Amino acid sequence: MSDQSVQHRASYQLDCSINGKSASIPSEASKRLLAIIRDDLQLTGTKRSCEIGRCGACMVLIDGKPFNSCLTMAYQCAGKEIITIEGVAAEGLDPIQQSFLEEGGFQCGYCTPGMIISVKALLDANPDPSEEEVLEALSGNICRCTGYGSILRAVRRAIEARRMIPDVASVDTIKAIE
Amino acid sequence: MLLNRETSGGRWRIRPDGPAKVSGGLAYLTDMTMSGMLHGFVLRSEHPHARIISINTDEAKQISGVHAVLTHLDIPGFNGFGIANPDQPVLCSDTVRYIGDAVACVAADSPEIARAALKAIKVQYEPLPVVDSPEAALKSGAPKLHPNGNVLHTTAYSKGDAEGSFAECASIVEETYDTPRQMHAYMETEGGLFLTDGEGRLTVYSPTQHGLKDRMQLALILDMPESDIHVLSSPIGGSFGGKDELNVQPYGALLAIQTGRPVKIHNSRWESVRAGLKKHPMRIAMKTGIDESGRLIAHQVSIIADTGAYSTLGAEVLNFATEHVIGPYRIDNVDVKGVSVFTNNGVSGEFRGFGGSQTIFAMEGQMDRLAAAVGMDPWELRRINLRMTGDPGPFGQAIAQTDGALQVWEAVRKHPLWTERRSTAPQAPWLKEAVGAAIAMHGAGLGYGMPDTAGGRLRLAADGKIEALFGYEEVGQGLIASLSQMLIERFGFAEEDLRIIIGDSDVVPDSGSTTASRATSMMWQTLQRLEAPFAAKLLRRASQLSGLREEELRLGEGGIWRQEGSERIARYEELARASAEELSCDTTFLYPATSMKRIGAHFIYTYSAAIARIELNTLTGRVKVLQQYHAVAAGPVANPQGYLGQIEGGSSMSVGFALTEDAMMEKGLYAARNLDTYLVPSIRDMSGGIEVEAIEELPEGDEYGPRGVGEIGSVIVAPAIAAAIREASGKWVAQLPVRPEELQQTPPFIAKAVNG
Repeated sequence: MSDQSVQHRASYQLDCSINGKSASIPSEASKRLLAIIRDDLQLTGTKRSCEIGRCGACMVLIDGKPFNSCLTMAYQCAGKEIITIEGVAAEGLDPIQQSFLEEGGFQCGYCTPGMIISVKALLDANPDPSEEEVLEALSGNICRCTGYGSILRAVRRAIEARRMIPDVASVDTIKAIE
Repeated sequence: MLLNRETSGGRWRIRPDGPAKVSGGLAYLTDMTMSGMLHGFVLRSEHPHARIISINTDEAKQISGVHAVLTHLDIPGFNGFGIANPDQPVLCSDTVRYIGDAVACVAADSPEIARAALKAIKVQYEPLPVVDSPEAALKSGAPKLHPNGNVLHTTAYSKGDAEGSFAECASIVEETYDTPRQMHAYMETEGGLFLTDGEGRLTVYSPTQHGLKDRMQLALILDMPESDIHVLSSPIGGSFGGKDELNVQPYGALLAIQTGRPVKIHNSRWESVRAGLKKHPMRIAMKTGIDESGRLIAHQVSIIADTGAYSTLGAEVLNFATEHVIGPYRIDNVDVKGVSVFTNNGVSGEFRGFGGSQTIFAMEGQMDRLAAAVGMDPWELRRINLRMTGDPGPFGQAIAQTDGALQVWEAVRKHPLWTERRSTAPQAPWLKEAVGAAIAMHGAGLGYGMPDTAGGRLRLAADGKIEALFGYEEVGQGLIASLSQMLIERFGFAEEDLRIIIGDSDVVPDSGSTTASRATSMMWQTLQRLEAPFAAKLLRRASQLSGLREEELRLGEGGIWRQEGSERIARYEELARASAEELSCDTTFLYPATSMKRIGAHFIYTYSAAIARIELNTLTGRVKVLQQYHAVAAGPVANPQGYLGQIEGGSSMSVGFALTEDAMMEKGLYAARNLDTYLVPSIRDMSGGIEVEAIEELPEGDEYGPRGVGEIGSVIVAPAIAAAIREASGKWVAQLPVRPEELQQTPPFIAKAVNG
């Protein structure tokens, strides 16, 4: 009977950090991160859409890099630092989110969390990307509503906005030099 | 006015639903869960066409954790749905007609157990011959898919004598156009949460474009009074027409009622592809003739639409296509025949454009071919044939008059993309750049004879909020934002004064559907009707409260102000507290319709013209859209950000329609199951700039206000791309999406190297 697989599963304890807090989640080693985030942790800002890693609606940051959580299994997250869209907005809106708001870089909003995760990963690694680098970074995120024009404007605005904010790392560097 | 953030100034507003969307905090209806919730799944047909011999659910019911396994025998009411013609079984009893047909549904403790239960349901089928095209369905002796045969609907329109007039034509072009089975591909697949309370009242949280219509259909299926069904239907993660019809709601409702537990359904992408609506593939044959001066003399059209297994709004789409296949042109002799045919393919139905994408692509293709045939400039050929102010609509019907057609076409003529279209400089010998343009008029509203109700309510709530209640839905288009902006600009309210109430069947009035580019227009017309009476009531109460005369007072931010000076004399909250009598106004009316008694004929049109500059890679045959310009004549811009977003977003759908999107079917089976093989445009495909020019001017005395812009962007780019491809390659495109292999060329330098 096929419910054997339902009954007998290896248990697994996922120890990781989620949105800055350490977490110990009873799981299965092969459980998808998307299911853990949405169903177990009720962090529903991460969206479920294609479930094959094409659309990007489920993207989260794992150690600062963007991953499709639908393709990521629990064991791959052990010891990692995971940030979901809720974590990005934990201390008020990020300048990227503010830019999406101001440019109207969303309509139905379903792709928006994943889109913002991709932009954050890009700009954290590369604060002044070329147009080509922006397109490359966002080519894994599908938006069906906007036609992407407002998203590109939001990214450009975010790049500008982040320039105005003193970067934590560079402040530390300056202090170290002093 | 070129629409963008800068030109919009203070009218460019942050959407009220924006903060929750960018922060991930907005709970979509498919995000909802509840303790004790079960997971609902639907068993769908294994065959595109088969007779059901038996359905055995015994084994499935035995599985621990399975709480319900339902078949057609468990439907208390009518086993069918469909907005216009309810011929789609909720759960099939004797026949399955497409691969998405539902046969049984289950509710279980977990998705895994529910899937195991689906596998344990034994359905015995006797496969029947698959009718996989409209042509096959129309053959004599074809299997009969419905009691009345395989024809859902036919249309005809004629004036003059098209056949006889071809003899007078100096040039005639004949072409057959084929268009794809485009998929809506909303990012949020269908789903929701369904529950009953102890007294048998059902609550449905599930996205739809018309909550009250869902309630009506569910009441029939469940054999329950509508008052016992509470439908909560917004926000929605995209629809584009695809969630207009019922989808998972009947299953969720049946399972929740049967188990007495909350049931959640959230379709996988494959299930969404398999069961969901698509755009009608159409084969449109046209024969069009002009005289020596280029004037259109005769236009003969035949449309065959593949409506798939069931009706939904297939007939209405064909009506729309029949009207729009004539285009924004004066033609004395017209003969259009249309037929919408049942097949064993996926169900075709409501899709942004509603028959416009297919027909406008075909008609504009004719205009370009005719221009080429007689060596005329394609702009000029269209210009001399355009419908002008005072002209009737395509069926000869009375329409709301504007100068829209000429306005948008003149805008094309003046635009640098057009004036400099010959001076393109490709970067490599195998790349070719070219420019094409197209024009469209697109009807809004459901058309003559359809249930085109509109209306809404304004109310001062007990807590002092100004409440606006409408039966419309937020599918992402920015309906809440547009309504807020209209209230603020018309009445002087502050955003914080407002509470928008939509998507809740218990409290909203019947405003009609959120379809057919109608909602913004109808909200505007509602506010136009309610402005004077609602303001008068507020001022009267303020006058009673303050002792000042009504004439001395005005509405403003946060409350009632003196006309002169800057003194606020009463906050809205104080007005609300001053009397227990409810202060509200409502109105119900019909979407303005033409006087011609032809079902579906439109009265209000939006006009648009677009220019596309493309790059054709002749080595790969791939086309990239480099730049677009849209001139849109749709009356005053209610919400600049929303307007721009609709045109940009619509254009992306048109680019996909032209270049990559087709949910291909072979023998009734989908070839693509997900977004890896069904290709919607990515950011790379849409990185070229789009300029949107809003032409707001309307004739003096026009009383209809903003026209809809929800669909027009999605019907206009494909023909412009096709025209540009012809410029770049010399090849006419008659089938979409464009097939790269047909556009590949051996560049001269390679031919030379190879051939010497």
